[in-house]
Amino acid sequence: MDGGIISNDLSAMVDDRVADGVFRVDRSVYTDPAIFEQELRNIFEKCWVFLCHESQVAKHGDYFWTEIGRQPVYVHRQEDGSLKCFINACSHRAAIMTPYRQGNAKTLTCRFHGWTYKCSGECIGIKNEEEGTDRNHYNLREIARLDSYKGFVFGSLNPDVGSLEDWLGATKPWIDIIAAQSPDGLEVVPGNSTYAIDGNWKLQCENGVDGYHVSTVHRVFAHTISMRESKGEYTGIKKTEAGRIAGNVATGGYDLGNGHMAIWATHTTPEVRPIWEAKERLEKELPPAQVDWILNRGRNLYIFPNLLLMDNPSTQIRLMKPVSTDRVDVTVYCIAPKGESKTARAGRLRKFEDFYLTAGMATSDDIAALEDTHEGSLAREAKWSEFHRGIDCFTKGADEGAKALGFEPAASSDNWDHEVLFHGFYRNWLKYMNGETA
Amino acid sequence: MSDLQTEVTNLIYRESTLLDRRQWDDWIDLYTEDAVYWVPSWANEEETVEDPELQLNLIYLRNRGGLEDRVFRIESRDSYASVPLDRTVHVVGNVLIEDDSGDEIEATANCVVHTYGKKGSLTRGSLYDFTLRRVDDELRISRKKITFVDDRLEGPIDVYHL
Repeated sequence: MDGGIISNDLSAMVDDRVADGVFRVDRSVYTDPAIFEQELRNIFEKCWVFLCHESQVAKHGDYFWTEIGRQPVYVHRQEDGSLKCFINACSHRAAIMTPYRQGNAKTLTCRFHGWTYKCSGECIGIKNEEEGTDRNHYNLREIARLDSYKGFVFGSLNPDVGSLEDWLGATKPWIDIIAAQSPDGLEVVPGNSTYAIDGNWKLQCENGVDGYHVSTVHRVFAHTISMRESKGEYTGIKKTEAGRIAGNVATGGYDLGNGHMAIWATHTTPEVRPIWEAKERLEKELPPAQVDWILNRGRNLYIFPNLLLMDNPSTQIRLMKPVSTDRVDVTVYCIAPKGESKTARAGRLRKFEDFYLTAGMATSDDIAALEDTHEGSLAREAKWSEFHRGIDCFTKGADEGAKALGFEPAASSDNWDHEVLFHGFYRNWLKYMNGETA
Repeated sequence: MSDLQTEVTNLIYRESTLLDRRQWDDWIDLYTEDAVYWVPSWANEEETVEDPELQLNLIYLRNRGGLEDRVFRIESRDSYASVPLDRTVHVVGNVLIEDDSGDEIEATANCVVHTYGKKGSLTRGSLYDFTLRRVDDELRISRKKITFVDDRLEGPIDVYHL
């Protein structure tokens, strides 16, 4: 390893004995600072990580500042329409180059000593430049790899990482059926929210695709919505999926390989989803299986290591930034089909605000639950977290739904209460932690 | 101080007191049936969103039913984030009447909320924009916009934190 960090063999952290009905994870994976540092090196700085959606850097000069692990980087739209991504630090003395998280600048001038760079990263100005200075020596440092899939932009600090398409693998059809929802593409709606969770980043990954908690943690949400509907007023928000939350519908989960995971649940009232207005067009343009998956199944997709894409009554990009072993910053955006009606857009946003925010009526409860999980994990006396539900009744490879949509999961479960998808998450986590590259 | 200034100030004080003392039903009664309750999200470091219908808000409730949802949730004792309930102290100041020429009164105020809960003590600030209307001789809140100055949010945010 570079940087003098010794990679510890962490095989003992994952007790993977599926044949014996056992899958357990040592809770110190959430709490050990040495493991966290190894995650930054071996996962966040070696794999592909999600950076932004291309609509967030639509025009020449648009930039978007984010992090790869804890390293600041920014994506910058070039004059020729391509994207580049740079380490967000001046070549001189490391000051952050972008004044805002998101903005537009055709050149960037460091606000510390005034060094200036073109959009391409080329150093074009050094204040009081000394004779014989080779400016090219000070061009901004581009990250090793940058690629995008259907508008979702990913980067890697690892020059040897495989192709993005291979990395995304079985998640691609899941992204396709989000991207296919508008002929004009998707856009991130103005406004966003960032919240800090006092818990390990992996607990947020788990929570995003944990179907099992829904009927306990979100029971109060379902009751609140039922109460609202019983009064005959939706305050402009049509029915939400009370059935899905109460656990009365068909559900499932997938280990999608490479650490990626997903869950789905049937919509009881698909006609209240904002995408319903596009039904006719979708049916004309797309294969029936895709239309069925788009209209009739709510879906949470986790792309290892830092992205959740939710397509439920509302639609969300959830970006996770690991800060320390006991802290993760999460930023959420509403992503929506360009050109949808104002009614659909407003409905999508109201559902988002109802459920997804730390000021909303469901995500707030998720955060409280996972912060408690983190705190409980400090009890080293009780070592293991159990992930054995559904261990003796999953399908290896694709079930019927996967075959219909055309993806090849490592394992399929026919109930989102099952925890088999987390086996894939932790097997791949262990593989990367022990030095295998994606 | 004018009678109107006193009346407006007392209403705004009353709202904060009812929240801190968890008198939820009395709190809701301060709002008109059609009251809008709006907490915009930050579009960037310097500006909040401006169009609550078509942009993302932290909270946007288009009538009093939305506030009733929140009270139902708190009183259910089934919300993970609301059990145990955080303790709060609102300190309201800078109450100014901006416009009283029409049927409704526009007023602004500042509020600092000290919260104590699982994360320890947190102190956060908001700018309030009120629209007030007289209903049966009593002043009521017909619109409240809360510009919550914090951006990276620590812990859950519910109506009593704002």
